[in-house]
Amino acid sequence: MSSQIPSFFSNDIVLHVEGIRKVYPNGVIANDNVTLSVFKGEIHAILGENGAGKTTLVNIIAGCIKPDAGEIYVNGKKVNIDNPRTATKLGIGVVHQHFILIPALTVIENIALSLDSGFKLDLNKVREKILQISSLLNLKIDLNARIEELPVGLRQRVEILRVLCQNANILILDEPTSVLTPIEVEEFFRILRNLKEKGCSIILITHKVKEALSISDRITIMRKGKVIKTLTPKETNEEELTLLIIGEKQNSEFISLTEGNNKNKEILLLVNNLNVKGDRGELSVKNVSFSLYSGEILGIAGVAGNGQKELIEALTGLRKPESGTIIIRGENVINKKPKSLIKKGMAYIPEDRIGRGVILTMSIAENAILKIFEENPFSNKTIMNRNSITDYTQKLMKKFGIIAPNPNIEVRALSGGNIQRLIIARELSYNAKILIAENPTAGLDVRATDFTHRMLLDLRSKGMGILLVSADLDELLKLSDRILVMYNGKIMKEFNRNEYDIYKIARLMLGIEV
Amino acid sequence: MIELIVSLIAITLQTSTPLLLASIGECIVERGGILNLGIEGAMLIGAFTGFIGAYFTKNLLIGLLSSIIGGIIIVLIFGFLVIKMNLDQVISALAINLLSYGICIYFFRMIFSQGSFPYLSELFSPIPIPFLSEIPIIGAILFNQTIFVYIALIIIPILHYLMFKTRYGLSLRAIGENPSIAYRLGINVSEIRYIALIIEGALVGMAGGAICLSMFNVFDTRITAAKGFIAVSIVILGRWNPIGVLGGALLFGFAEALSLWVGTLIIGPISASISQLLSILPYLVTIIALLIGGRKAKGPASLGASFSRE
Amino acid sequence: MSSLKLLGLYRALFAIILTFLITSIFFIMSNTNPILAYYYIFVGAFGNINLIIETFVRATPILIISLGLAISFRCKVWNIGAEGQLYMGAMLGTITAIVLGESYFTFPIAFIMSLIGGALWASIPAFMKSKLGINEVITTFLMNFISINFIQWLLAFPFKSPETLFPESDRIPNSSILPILIPYTRMHLGIIIAFLLILPLIHFIITKTTFGFKLKAIGENPEAARYAGIDVEKILFLALVISGALAGMAGFIEVAGIQFRMRPTISPGYGYTGIVIALLGQNNPIGIALASIFIAAIINGSSTMSRMLNQPQGIVDFIQGLLIIFVLASDYILKYMSRRGLIKL
Repeated sequence: MSSQIPSFFSNDIVLHVEGIRKVYPNGVIANDNVTLSVFKGEIHAILGENGAGKTTLVNIIAGCIKPDAGEIYVNGKKVNIDNPRTATKLGIGVVHQHFILIPALTVIENIALSLDSGFKLDLNKVREKILQISSLLNLKIDLNARIEELPVGLRQRVEILRVLCQNANILILDEPTSVLTPIEVEEFFRILRNLKEKGCSIILITHKVKEALSISDRITIMRKGKVIKTLTPKETNEEELTLLIIGEKQNSEFISLTEGNNKNKEILLLVNNLNVKGDRGELSVKNVSFSLYSGEILGIAGVAGNGQKELIEALTGLRKPESGTIIIRGENVINKKPKSLIKKGMAYIPEDRIGRGVILTMSIAENAILKIFEENPFSNKTIMNRNSITDYTQKLMKKFGIIAPNPNIEVRALSGGNIQRLIIARELSYNAKILIAENPTAGLDVRATDFTHRMLLDLRSKGMGILLVSADLDELLKLSDRILVMYNGKIMKEFNRNEYDIYKIARLMLGIEV
Repeated sequence: MIELIVSLIAITLQTSTPLLLASIGECIVERGGILNLGIEGAMLIGAFTGFIGAYFTKNLLIGLLSSIIGGIIIVLIFGFLVIKMNLDQVISALAINLLSYGICIYFFRMIFSQGSFPYLSELFSPIPIPFLSEIPIIGAILFNQTIFVYIALIIIPILHYLMFKTRYGLSLRAIGENPSIAYRLGINVSEIRYIALIIEGALVGMAGGAICLSMFNVFDTRITAAKGFIAVSIVILGRWNPIGVLGGALLFGFAEALSLWVGTLIIGPISASISQLLSILPYLVTIIALLIGGRKAKGPASLGASFSRE
Repeated sequence: MSSLKLLGLYRALFAIILTFLITSIFFIMSNTNPILAYYYIFVGAFGNINLIIETFVRATPILIISLGLAISFRCKVWNIGAEGQLYMGAMLGTITAIVLGESYFTFPIAFIMSLIGGALWASIPAFMKSKLGINEVITTFLMNFISINFIQWLLAFPFKSPETLFPESDRIPNSSILPILIPYTRMHLGIIIAFLLILPLIHFIITKTTFGFKLKAIGENPEAARYAGIDVEKILFLALVISGALAGMAGFIEVAGIQFRMRPTISPGYGYTGIVIALLGQNNPIGIALASIFIAAIINGSSTMSRMLNQPQGIVDFIQGLLIIFVLASDYILKYMSRRGLIKL
């Protein structure tokens, strides 16, 4: 078979993968006989749901993961990409979903890191090279700024500049628009078209159908590790692509927001003129005021790093605010420790499930009672009661569908979805009235996302007040009764559900006054 | 009076030197994200191997060389524990310190029988630099010192250059901030860290050698007396910067020199009492300095964290 | 016994075997039969009832210290200042006993003061750790030098006993001396206090109380513990202070049971030996009890062995250094060996 392939190549094919297969140790078949070609100077979208195997494919081409089977051809030659360096040498540049930038170093230092040169660090040479490329593409950036000072959109620009400085002519971008606001996306597409004109080939990994249709020359659809079809935007449309992506349609999977119970609303949380400092001593939350009612989901929209983290930490007692008031049911709880806030009925589902949400090396039971171990019957404040803890956890596992042999299993043996269930189960264990959900579906698969969304809506209908802080605008639009837009530490505007306007919200997220 | 002050400054340079050598080495390693609290032990080993080398060859330069080698070996063992085995850096350092102590106390008595008191017949003597050493006052302070002082002073700009003006230094700083990103960028994290550890081992071993071969002429397991830990404190207070480290080392060297110097000034029955009490001065100064200056110190982001490729 | 605890036992045994193998090489190099050497170590530690008692006498202070260290190590507070805390506790206890003179209250008050002495000394680095975030390894270690040098000065000058030529305190009153339980031995009440009171108490605290649970949660993931409402700073502070108190107690029990005077030599590095024991016993009180008897046996036995075979005294410290390295490295070495097909796990 492989002997036929060279004849298959025209000069225009810069990258060709043939029969790629990858099975992970847990048995998941991430890539199954994946074959596709990329032409010179085209934008080729790879479209599929989360878990369709797109990122695995990228990592294989980038040399980060070894495939179990299959071949890769670059410019007609069979190559063995066993590490990222080889990929770079072959002219393959990858912009990963999570940037590989060092926050404390400057733009120029970050780019210099991945360029080969001698013992001495010649930053002037690096600067020349960057300026040459950036002026060609009309990309402006302050080379001496530290990465941590830059917004996400600009960080992505640094990543692109970096791979171009490495002389990449095949660019692979993994979900590049997921961190961008709609307005930044337009600017980003301009850059892509520019690159294409200069002869670069671009592989765009995305799960957004509209995006693929609007920018790409060809679209390859992946589902469950397999390539389903490759077509051009002209010969297809949104509905067809959607169908190809999901496979058999399942109507029952959709959820819609019912009108909340607007009567008998009670203010659960009242925040007034809150100011909070960030890690580096800068004011990250500026004069923020809002109120959260019972039975509503209040969304907070914003690009990551605009003060949401600090706001959440102030509300949960993890960070000391500078000034302002936080009133929970009539009592000012500013400067209270996490424990007294928990007692006041504040629950919190953190984004960082592994680092903050659970203790991996402790058992399911120990994690389940982590917030209530000083309550009866789990202890008498001093001495723990193991039996009642085990009984309780068994019931909890049944109720929330946490699958594990027994409650004494360490949490690190659980899947991501099960860990999320455990966290939700625990946060609902102490009759909290207020729930702060921080990017609750980040990194979860479709089923776990759906479970989480349903859970939030269920809690809303039971009268809980939910503060949903999310970087995913679609999620916010779907679930929230109201949306506050946060930019640069400030609340820019409040939208009621009937006023939602994705472009208006997006402009505000970028700090462009409307 | 001037003579006394000159002598105080000269002693300060001498007492600062082991601290400076060790803390500049620690500074490099910490910039790469490794917290090596095991330099106390490495310094002791350096003093030990330096003493043995000099004693048996009657050659101080061979003593210096063997202290460097001893330091490198111990720091590399530490490196193997934390890089290859990916063990906790703090406990590994504690283990290294205890092991070094055990090695010195056991092998010293294995080599020299119980009850014997071996000593070196000569120490590194000051090398006056022609002309410069004749400058009044500062000549005697700066340009009439032992080889260790000169090495320490030359090494500062060299390592500053290494850290900030070379690709190696940039990679090292990147690793210290985030080793997994550095790894994904194709930087060989282990190799860069091992190189930093070798540099540190050489410097810390030399620091031990400086104590044994230029200050005392005998070996004792109490000879380092927490100088390794003071060196780590200096790195914190010097904010992980070679220039800051120089300042810190001089400050603590001064505290130590002062405790020795005041002891020589006081005569009479009270002098023994005072000089014994003064021996706590360097430690007290370090604790107080950490209390004041250690508060807002922010080191490399991944300092002390373990990193594995999996 | 759960498989996890068994694993800890294997780890410790594996480290002990490796250590003995390495030391054997050095015995052979110095023309000593290693089997004979280990035989003398064993005989020196357990050869007769008196020697067994002496091993327990030795194990007592290091057991108390390492039980305290286990508490701080459990929440990853690396207290290496037990040596200084021991001296502070012993000194304060001794001064109190001497000041109070003969009375019923002398022992209990002096005993409590020794706890307070160790606790207060540990509270300085504990404050710096929990409030200012300053690395406790550095501060606790540096404070050992302040403590020991200061106490040497106290014993050489203000508190020097006029009766002797050495830098040591007056003899503590008889009523503060721990009674001997078996005549003509040094089997004092402190041994019982350590093994039958402190050991079960610390075991209970670690395994059964909410405080023990908090220690573990913080040790495994401080960020998650803080988020779950545990007052992390307070627990870190307490853990270090408690370990200091126990080190202080160990010091005073040594004075009241063995030395009867405060001396600058009451501890030949027990504070550091405690670290080895806590790690060898994997912070588990039962493991620590076994480890402290084991180390005490090595200390006592090797002094017999050194005498009989003309070996250098420092072998004990060398063995401890190797032990701690191999305990840490055991997981890696075992995995490496099983990868190479040398053993089956």
